[in-house]
Amino acid sequence: MTIHPIRSDDALTYRPAQERPDTTSAYDSTWVEQPEDSSPTGLDRIMGQDGKIYVVLAVVLLIWIGLLTLLFRTDRKIDRLERRLDRHISDDE
Amino acid sequence: MSASVQTTRPVNRRLYRAMRGLVALVLTGVIVAGFLGEIPQLDILEQSARNLYFHVPMWFTLMAATLVSAYHSAQYLRSGARIRDVRAREAARIALIFGGLGIVTGMVWARFTWYEGTGVWWNFDPKQSMAAVLLLIYGGYFVLRDAIDTPSTRGRIAAVYNLFAVVTMPFLLYILPRQMPSLHPGGEGSPAFSQTDLAPAMRWVFYPSVLAFLGLFWLLYTQRVRLAWIREALRVEQREEVAAGLQDASDS
Repeated sequence: MTIHPIRSDDALTYRPAQERPDTTSAYDSTWVEQPEDSSPTGLDRIMGQDGKIYVVLAVVLLIWIGLLTLLFRTDRKIDRLERRLDRHISDDE
Repeated sequence: MSASVQTTRPVNRRLYRAMRGLVALVLTGVIVAGFLGEIPQLDILEQSARNLYFHVPMWFTLMAATLVSAYHSAQYLRSGARIRDVRAREAARIALIFGGLGIVTGMVWARFTWYEGTGVWWNFDPKQSMAAVLLLIYGGYFVLRDAIDTPSTRGRIAAVYNLFAVVTMPFLLYILPRQMPSLHPGGEGSPAFSQTDLAPAMRWVFYPSVLAFLGLFWLLYTQRVRLAWIREALRVEQREEVAAGLQDASDS
């Protein structure tokens, strides 16, 4: 569902307040646009710089870290298998 | 019994760990610098020039991987040691993966850069087509392997095929594409990445990137070789157990 913001004065001309009983207003999905906020702060300010390139960087880094984790975990599994195999073979002798 | 199985670890662990740390570090740095570093502002290319750091190393890696694969195939023909066949196979497998990534990244790059708005995904750039042919040749290597049941015959025939396959690589990736007009550098007769082709600031990201991806290839390849070798050892083990069982049965 798309929520379209409408300005409060538009809303009033489109549908006068007296025609809207209180019993339905709780179900309204339209909302009155907030006044323009002040400039973003903190993390938002950093991530929004330079055409939001930092957002892309963050995504790619997350993928890379995920792949690295996979690499390390697979190494650990192979280590374990090799150790088990060695023990198994030396038990036979 | 199986001394060959028990003693061989196909990799030097310390070397592997060092390489793993180095690759993780350098490639992370390459990603950060690749996104944030300064690049020349060029028409058409614009920011997509950063793809150089990621698309081109795929091909360097493929070339290195095919050479590694061919080296082990040659060694297999000399010695007949199973590990050589395993190494040749796994190097070729990783080569195919990097080649596939190279093709796909190249398609996306060209589609939205030189062929923006045309809907052309496959533009029959000579290098693109030749690379596809090379990948088919290496795909044939695996089809051939799967078609032969006896391990020693399979190893030998696949090794010979692999040596023929690697000979086509420089022709398909270097020599032929340069005879034709292409999006890729080098068509003008000058070697790619000559003094003027690559801005100095980009070299500091590009060269480490190539080295890091080569390292990444080596890590993945080593993993696969170790796994394949464990499987091999288990198979030998099983065969010996079966043989011992038969021995017992005939003794009693």
